[in-house]
Amino acid sequence: MTGTTKIVLAGEGGQGIQTIAKVITEVAAKQNFQVSYIPVFGVEQRGTPSVALIILSHDKIFYPRFEKADYVVALQKRAVASVKSYITEKTKVVFDSSTISIKDLPTSAIHRFGIPATQIATEQFTAKAFNLIVTGKLSQVLGLDEDHIWQKIEKLLGKKFKTAEIKEKSHQAYLFGRKFVFELKRFSRPLFQPSTDKIIIKNDEKLAQIYPERCKGCGLCIVKCPVGALKFSDTLGVFATPVPEIDLEKCIACGNCFRFCPDGAIAVEKNKKKK
Amino acid sequence: MLNTMPKSWNIESKPHLFCPGCGHGIILKQLGFAIDSLGLQKEITMGVDIGCSLLAWDFLDVPTIQTHHGRTTPLLVGYKLVKPKRIVISYMGDGAAWGIGLQNTIHAAYRNNPVTVIVINNENFAMTGGQASYTTLPGTITPTSPVGKPADLGSGFKGPELIRNVAHKDAFIARTTVTNPIHLLTTLKKAIMTQKENNNFALVEVLSICPTNWKTGAKASLDLASEMEKVYPIGEVK
Repeated sequence: MTGTTKIVLAGEGGQGIQTIAKVITEVAAKQNFQVSYIPVFGVEQRGTPSVALIILSHDKIFYPRFEKADYVVALQKRAVASVKSYITEKTKVVFDSSTISIKDLPTSAIHRFGIPATQIATEQFTAKAFNLIVTGKLSQVLGLDEDHIWQKIEKLLGKKFKTAEIKEKSHQAYLFGRKFVFELKRFSRPLFQPSTDKIIIKNDEKLAQIYPERCKGCGLCIVKCPVGALKFSDTLGVFATPVPEIDLEKCIACGNCFRFCPDGAIAVEKNKKKK
Repeated sequence: MLNTMPKSWNIESKPHLFCPGCGHGIILKQLGFAIDSLGLQKEITMGVDIGCSLLAWDFLDVPTIQTHHGRTTPLLVGYKLVKPKRIVISYMGDGAAWGIGLQNTIHAAYRNNPVTVIVINNENFAMTGGQASYTTLPGTITPTSPVGKPADLGSGFKGPELIRNVAHKDAFIARTTVTNPIHLLTTLKKAIMTQKENNNFALVEVLSICPTNWKTGAKASLDLASEMEKVYPIGEVK
């Protein structure tokens, strides 16, 4: 890598965008790069896009902000809109192809590289390791040292690796990211998008409705069910979290899940005609 | 067909902006049911404050005003003077009602202005990251009290009890909780009817949950909310 590289990382608060930026810049600084990193938060609200602007350079950096980026890394569908202006025809856009469709990217993005990080992390490692896969790939592209990056991650995230197993899996996820080769696909249909249909389950006595597009996976309904008829299923909700499924044989139609659901995503009713 | 949400909810704004498991969703659901069952959807104007509560600005399908921090109640008092037939609901957090806007809450109660104030008490300043507030219980670990909130900073601010001392004798002042949605619904109904029928001040404090900032799961959040009831007794404050 020569000259100056301008990178924009974009995702949602809590995805580890700022952690990735810290790891990349601190290791690059050790490898004799001039670095600049500024976090950009939007309004002070949870769930809004979190953006990091990074410059790595061999020359002196005079100003940390820039208008056009060389790399844009987008990890969340809603964050794409906030980094649209950084994308030009020369920008290399890296996106999480398991949650973002290629149609969500602006038309000016010509060099598009999909990395199904969420899918790989959920299927092979732990769900939270998806940002390590991205870190691995990004550091490999930028030519940063493999071991230095991992040491930095260990230092920053050490507290979060509660067991040795999680740590080992995270390391493997990171190494997987290092070795990952971008696939050339059409990326038209992300696998981890919430389903938009409603789920209707019914038997002779009861009727249940669940809306996965509204469910945020808080689990209040499962805790409040007095007979344990609810449990998490494989269907994914709006935040790519599991949606509850209902066992109508056990259900007594008390309405607790309906009363406690903050999102209006579930309801059960007794069939009145039978009575 | 089965309805999973109240009729007075604005369906286009769903999924809403609150965090997963947020108590605001449960409270606004019961408020929606209260409005539905009283049939007041066309008469209600809602005011929302700064803080997490402002995310409710397009939650219900009623006209909504968003005001300066802590100034929701006086603005709605003025609105009510101009349009006496409207029912006004002032919806805010504990930061607005018991902190920056305490003077406004006290004086609205003292003058017995016909407004219904709903205060969401989630025991912290949630939108800015869960810092310790005056309603935080002693010993709670927050970003601004890493070893637990010191006991000499107070044992939890009891707003409704304070307001009771200055409020008119016919004013309705109560505390309720999200862990008991049926009690929540009946209390909200009473608070709205106090304004509609008797033109009196009504204030309801709702103990809420905040899984994001408490860093608790679903079960632990509800358990903590039940724990809060020992310090903040629920029921009408007399």
